[in-house]
Amino acid sequence: MKENDVIVIGGGFSGLMAAAVAAKRGKKVTVLSLGAGTLSIASGNVDVLGYDKNGKPVANPKAGLSSVAADHPYNKIGQKSLEEAVQFFLELTKEEGYAYKGSLDQQQWIPTAAGTLKPTCLVPMTMDTSALKNASKAYIIGFESLKDFYPHLVAKNLRNMPGYDQEYEMLMVDPKLPAGRDVTNLDIARWLDSAEGRKAFVAQLRATIKPGSVAVIAPVLGTAPSHAVRDELEQALNCKFVESVVVPPGITGHRLRIMMLNHVKKLGVKVVEHAVVTRGIVENGQCTAVVTEAIDRERTYQAKSFILASGGFYGGGLVAEPGQAIEPVFNLPIAAPTTQEDWSNFQMFSNEAQPFEKIGIAVDETMRPVDADGKVLLNNVFIAGRNLCGYDFCFEKSGNGVAMASGYKAAMSV
Amino acid sequence: MQKATVVVIGGGATGVGILRDLCMRGIDAVLVEQQDLAYGTSSRYHGLLHSGGRYAVKDAEAGKECIEENTILRKIGRHCVEQTEGFFVRTPLDPEDFEGKWLEACKNVGIPTIPISVEEARRLEPNLSPKIQAVYRVPDAAIDGFRMVWQNVASARKYGGRVMTYTTVVGIEQTNGEVTGITVRNTLSGVVTKIACEFVVSAAGSWAGEIAHLAGIDVNVQPDRGTLVAFNHRITSRIVNRLRPASDGDIFVPHGSITILGTTSASVKNPDDNVPTAKEVVELLKIGEALFEDIHSYRMLRAFAGTRPLYSADPNAKGRGASRGFVTLDHAHDGLKGFISVVGGKFTTYRLMAEKVTDLVCQYLNNKTACRTAEEPLVEDASPALISKAKQYFPAYGTELAASRLGSEGLEKVVKRMQDNPEKCQLLCECENVTMAEVEEAAADETSHMLSDVRRKTRMGMGTCQGAFCTFRSVGAVDAAGLAWGKDTQGLFKEFLQARWKGIRPILWGNVMRETQLTRGIYEGTLNINGAISDEGK
Repeated sequence: MKENDVIVIGGGFSGLMAAAVAAKRGKKVTVLSLGAGTLSIASGNVDVLGYDKNGKPVANPKAGLSSVAADHPYNKIGQKSLEEAVQFFLELTKEEGYAYKGSLDQQQWIPTAAGTLKPTCLVPMTMDTSALKNASKAYIIGFESLKDFYPHLVAKNLRNMPGYDQEYEMLMVDPKLPAGRDVTNLDIARWLDSAEGRKAFVAQLRATIKPGSVAVIAPVLGTAPSHAVRDELEQALNCKFVESVVVPPGITGHRLRIMMLNHVKKLGVKVVEHAVVTRGIVENGQCTAVVTEAIDRERTYQAKSFILASGGFYGGGLVAEPGQAIEPVFNLPIAAPTTQEDWSNFQMFSNEAQPFEKIGIAVDETMRPVDADGKVLLNNVFIAGRNLCGYDFCFEKSGNGVAMASGYKAAMSV
Repeated sequence: MQKATVVVIGGGATGVGILRDLCMRGIDAVLVEQQDLAYGTSSRYHGLLHSGGRYAVKDAEAGKECIEENTILRKIGRHCVEQTEGFFVRTPLDPEDFEGKWLEACKNVGIPTIPISVEEARRLEPNLSPKIQAVYRVPDAAIDGFRMVWQNVASARKYGGRVMTYTTVVGIEQTNGEVTGITVRNTLSGVVTKIACEFVVSAAGSWAGEIAHLAGIDVNVQPDRGTLVAFNHRITSRIVNRLRPASDGDIFVPHGSITILGTTSASVKNPDDNVPTAKEVVELLKIGEALFEDIHSYRMLRAFAGTRPLYSADPNAKGRGASRGFVTLDHAHDGLKGFISVVGGKFTTYRLMAEKVTDLVCQYLNNKTACRTAEEPLVEDASPALISKAKQYFPAYGTELAASRLGSEGLEKVVKRMQDNPEKCQLLCECENVTMAEVEEAAADETSHMLSDVRRKTRMGMGTCQGAFCTFRSVGAVDAAGLAWGKDTQGLFKEFLQARWKGIRPILWGNVMRETQLTRGIYEGTLNINGAISDEGK
């Protein structure tokens, strides 16, 4: 076990990004992952900054960085590292044959299953909307029996969005899945993974779809991080497909996770699954090892550096109790309002960030945890992802952006 | 102008009970409710069908009414009542000398109490604290407030009863000391209309004082706020009461797949004061420890609060000091003939209250028809043939549940939808086992104007995930059905999720926090319900 340079705690986007960057730098890396986590059920886009702190849309994510609060993770990460992280990620996706599109200079507004638009920065090519915006008419494709996508809802609302106010025609495909079971987007994606599924899909649409058209569809063009399914269907029907974002399971997030795992494994990273990290062993401000609890016994993982990418409350990297928040591995201090009512706004959807989302670990500019006075608490532990303090990823649309950039920065700091 | 012989104000248990009774006796009646049916106290309590044990010592008459009505409601409301039985449990914190007094009082009013050993009680309910010292079995039961109200309305409708929801009373019309009608405003459209009538019966619960004021009459109803916590599993399969003088946090009631812990008691000015606080929740959990030591590790669903309509002829009586009994006030004595208020009381005795009020109206009308609400079931049982047909479409475990929820007629309509379109058999709400067909049926009802109305009818969104997944699906379904109230889909999302949020905020820790982050991730992060519009085109 002594041969590890870096142990990454957490197999989400920030953890896998950190593992990839550290491995590329020649480090020997082990990832301790609890499970598939949030990455695989989410939509797999990299939101960097969609709205400023007053809820005003940001047209240019890079320019918007100057508007974020002093304790925002982007201010610790810095613009240069964010730019390098974007570059690193885009190259990684190209190398893996599942390229992402976008840049820090241009916000992308993509259609959602609610027929709204959401701002994001980097998207898989299957979510590239340029063909849709240029079309005067588009199809919305739904599936009989799919309960997580409603074409009429998409068409009706999208029509009111600037730039998307074209005519929409709804088409239904029947996957003829076995009766008596509930159907999610994952079932449809698996159906299109199969040659018979693709054949049936094309056969049902061929007579209706006009050549040279564009269609909005749920993210069902295969489960693998590859464009093969999309390419085959686009070619067969002479139609461009634009995948929208949906409620979980969001297949594009699953593809992103598989791609990241494939990539880090190629770089020699060891990924340990079902690892519950229970505590760190710390001597004089230096972490020497972390301990995991498995079904049979405890195991100790030693390394020179540790990257804590264990997630926020949802992922289990932080634990909320009445009036306090706890970081369970290193017991790092977490500032939180002592009165429970101050944790959240009265309105669920309001014109400001939710205070509880901003609760997290404070860090210095190398991503090491600090106390209230800014003193570094652990010399060789670096924090990445959702457990960082100072940002509400939902409100400002910055989730994977902070994960990607902080994972990069942490890995550059080890 | 609309006309009715009687206008009933208030769509809680008492109001719908009165509507049903009037209609069954052949009297033309319409009910007006300011919100949705069962929006107020009838759904904002622990859902306990009292055996009367709780009141036996302090208020023997209330105890007696409870045990009698308990027996009746089990019979007529078979589909709303879960016959769980109840325990009265003495913990080391409770006064020992109360036990004897309580046993004596129960015996006097006819409430059966069966002592069982602590070992046997813990064998039956293993989560009970090992420190408990004495246990008695009583005929408590769990009752579904929403369903009880809806099934009363279903029954009243069969006899010609009418219901107007989202209709608030703005004036009581009178000529020469006699009621001639009421003026109402539709709270959704703002339209003001008049309903001509001979009698106005106020069953407005905590709001009864406000209604009486419209007629210039004082009715001393003191709203008393109670906060409760819902857990997402059956901590106990029996109702568990603390064997001590009635106090805060001493009743656990299992319902379906959840358990409700209640209640706090605090006098408030405003009957709409129903926002629970974290402080109240923490206090309830602390008290609950005496019965269930592991209470802090149980997953909570939400907190909620309602106001009890406590009545006292003495304007200074408050909280648990005020009587839980009920009073029928004939305001003819106050100079307004045709205006009646029914105040105080509790859910368990709603039918009796309705009977007494209806008797009074009948006296005036010289109507000699006898009350039959104690004999006739609220809804008919679904026939075995219909149940077996439903089993072809419902998830196997969901058929009986849906049959209970829907009654025979409702079940038939939902099965028809499934027959016509088998995709509608899919579960829209997985937590509470609610199919798409059932949601569509409830959404199409004339009393549905928003998703929360559909929720109250179906339980959709009331389970573990508190709307994380079913909100999206129900908006999609309502939109696809082209319903008039479903046009503003952004508004539908916000209304439903905000209503859930109100009960989640005070318990935002542990797994509730995790669930909340998932829900926000979906609706604010991914679907951008909050922002929605791009500035690209500007």
